[in-house]
Amino acid sequence: MSDDAPEVPPSAAPASPLEPWPDTVRWRSISTDLIWVELLRLAAGVAVVAAVLGVGWALTGSWPFGLALGAVVLFALWRVVTIVRAVRAWGYAEREDDLLVRHGLLVRRLSIVPYSRMQFVDVSAGPLERAFDLATVQLHTAAAASDARVPGLRPAEASRLRDRLTTLGEDRAEGL
Amino acid sequence: MSGSAAPGPDRTPPGADERDHVGETVSGQASGRPAERAVPAVPAEAPPSDHAVPAAPEASPPGERPQPGPYQVAGPSTPVGGWIGPPSPDPSARQRLHPLSPVLHGAKSLVVVIAGLSWSTLSRVGLGWFAAMVIVLALGASVLAVVSWYNTGYQVVGRELRIHEGLLWRRSRAIPLERLQAVEVVRPLLAQLTGLAELRLEVVGGGKTEAPLAYLSLAEAAALRQRLLTLAGHSSGTVPAAQAQPVPAGAEPPAQPGRPLHAVSNRDLLISQLLTPQAFLLPFGVAFVATQFLSEGSWSFIAVASTLTAMAGVLLQPVRRVLDDWRFQLARDDDRLRIRNGLLETRSQTVPLHRVQTVRVTWPLLWRMKGWLRLRLEVAGYAAGEADERNRPDRLLPVGDQPTGEMIVAEVLPGVALASLPLRPPPARARWVNPLSRQVLGAGLTEQVFAVRSGLLTRQLTVVPYARLQSVRVVQGPVQRLLGLATVHADTAGGAGAAAVDRDLTDAWALAAELTAWGQAARRAG
Repeated sequence: MSDDAPEVPPSAAPASPLEPWPDTVRWRSISTDLIWVELLRLAAGVAVVAAVLGVGWALTGSWPFGLALGAVVLFALWRVVTIVRAVRAWGYAEREDDLLVRHGLLVRRLSIVPYSRMQFVDVSAGPLERAFDLATVQLHTAAAASDARVPGLRPAEASRLRDRLTTLGEDRAEGL
Repeated sequence: MSGSAAPGPDRTPPGADERDHVGETVSGQASGRPAERAVPAVPAEAPPSDHAVPAAPEASPPGERPQPGPYQVAGPSTPVGGWIGPPSPDPSARQRLHPLSPVLHGAKSLVVVIAGLSWSTLSRVGLGWFAAMVIVLALGASVLAVVSWYNTGYQVVGRELRIHEGLLWRRSRAIPLERLQAVEVVRPLLAQLTGLAELRLEVVGGGKTEAPLAYLSLAEAAALRQRLLTLAGHSSGTVPAAQAQPVPAGAEPPAQPGRPLHAVSNRDLLISQLLTPQAFLLPFGVAFVATQFLSEGSWSFIAVASTLTAMAGVLLQPVRRVLDDWRFQLARDDDRLRIRNGLLETRSQTVPLHRVQTVRVTWPLLWRMKGWLRLRLEVAGYAAGEADERNRPDRLLPVGDQPTGEMIVAEVLPGVALASLPLRPPPARARWVNPLSRQVLGAGLTEQVFAVRSGLLTRQLTVVPYARLQSVRVVQGPVQRLLGLATVHADTAGGAGAAAVDRDLTDAWALAAELTAWGQAARRAG
C-alpha cells in the first residue's frame, strides 16, 4: 500500500517515541514559565492538604497523620519532578497541512490534527496563567477524541497561532 | 432571514440537515416580522469608548475584511491583556451584548436565589431578613452579571466570529463561519417581554450549542444572523420554497423507493437473537429458580418477582432487537441509504452515504457456527447521549451471512472488499500485552479505508474511510514503552473511531504518517 501512498513517510526509524520524523518536523517547545504555573497550582493543593493533616496531627498527636503528611510531601516532590519534565516534553509543530501536538511522559501522546478539520479555536487564560503572561490554545474538531491543546504560549504567539489556524482552516475548509 | 440555513448539498457537512431544520423553524418564526429584517447590520448601540486597555492595532482594517491577512502577527486582539480593538461604528469592531442582558441574567438568578433559600428559611428568619437576604444575593448576582456583560464581547473578523468572555478565566473563541451549521434566534419569555433575543450558533462537534450570545436586541440579532449566514456563504436571498419545506435546499423530491439491496428474513433474525449469551442463560436461570423452589419448598413472592425482573432485564436486549429489526429492509436511493425496520413501530431512516463515518462489522462468538455477521454504522451529527438513542441510524444489517455483508459494505464504501482487507497483525512481542488475542488484532490500509480488527470472542472489524478522518493520534502507555509498542487512533466525528492496538513503534509512526497523507489526499479529492 505504501508504494502508491501520496506521501511516503521518511524511511528512517524515529529516534525517540516523542520525536517522530525528526528530519521533517520542527518542534517548538512551550514556555518554561508554565512550570511555575503548574508548581504554584500544586503548591496550593498540597498546602491545603498539608495544613489539614498538620492541624490534625497537632491536635490529636496520632501517628497516621504524620505518615500521611510524609506521603503528601513525597508525592509533591515526585510531582515537581514530573511537572518539570512534562512541561519540557510538551511540544507542537505546524506542518503545511496539520498541527502536531505531543505531550505526556507516562503515557505519551501525539496528535495530528489537519487544519481543515478544525471547527473552532479557543484561546483561554486563567488568572495564574495571566500572571505569568501565558495563554492556552485549544483546537476543536468534530471528533470528541481529538486532543490538540497547547498550553503555556506567550499571548503574542497564542494569537499568532490562533490566527494562523483559523486562516489555514478557512483556506482548506471542507465539510466533514 | 428567510434564507435557508442549509448550505448547498456539496458542502453540507453531516449533521447539517437536522440542525438546519431547527434553525429553519426558529428563523421562520423570527422572520415573520419583515420590518426587523430590513434593519442594517449597524449595532443598535455603538460601544462607547471602552476599557482603558491599550488597544492593539487593528490588524485587519475594515477594507480587507472579507479576507484577513493570512498571517497576522499579534492579531487584532491580543488574547491576554489587550482584548479590545479600537471602538468604531464599523460592524466588524468588537461589540457588547445588549445593556439589558445583565438585568435579564440577574432576574433569572433572582428566581434561583428565591428557590435556593426555600420556605424553611423564610419561616425561620422572618420576612424582613428573608427579603434582605434575597436583595443582597440578587445584588451580588447582578454585579456579577454586569461584570460578565462588561467583559463579554463579540466581533466579526474577516470570515470568523470571535467571542470573548470572562474576567478571571479569559477565553476567546474563534469560530470560522464556514463551520457554522445553523444560527438560531431564540426568545425566552423574559427576552420576549423586553424585546431582546438570544443568538445561538450551532457548530458541528461539541454536540451542544457552542456559542450563545445572550442577549441582543431583536433587530441586532436578526441583522447579525443575516450577516453571519451571508459571510458563511449560505444562500441569503429569499427562498420561500425552501422555507415551507424542512428539506435542505437542493434535495430531490421525497419518497423515492430506491433500489432494494437486502431484506433480512425474520427467521434468521429470531435465530440470531436466540444465539446470544442472554438467550443461552435463560434455561439456566429457569432451572436455578425451579430447583430453588423445589428444594426450599417455599414460594416466596419477593424471590419470584425479583428473579423474574432480573431475567426480564437480561432478556430485554434480544427481545428489543427482534422487535426493532423485524422486517429489516435496506435500499439504496441514489447516494443515500433507506432503512426500514420495526415490528411495533415501523421506522424508516435515510442516511446519506457521505455522512457515514465508520462501518463496524461484528462477528459474535455464537454466530460463527452460522457464519453470520452484523453491520453497524456511525453517523456524524448525533451527539452521544441524545434522547433518541434508539432512533440513531446505526443499523446497517442486523444479521446476515458473509456474502451479504460483503455486498452491503461494497455498496456503502465503494471499492472496499470485506474479505480481502490487508490486515497485518502486531509484532510477536505484543503477546505480552494481548496473550490470547494477538492473532486476532490487525490493522491495514487500503486505497480508501483504514481497517482495524480486534476482539477475541466477539470479533470486530472497524472500517474508517480516509475522507472521514478527523485526526490521528499515537498513544504509548508505560508498558507499551517497555515493549516498544504504540497504539494508533483514527478519530472520526461520530463514535469511537478506530484504534490499531499495540503496533510496533516504527510501524505505528508509519501508519500515522500514511493515515495523515491518505486523509489529506482524500480531502483534496473530495
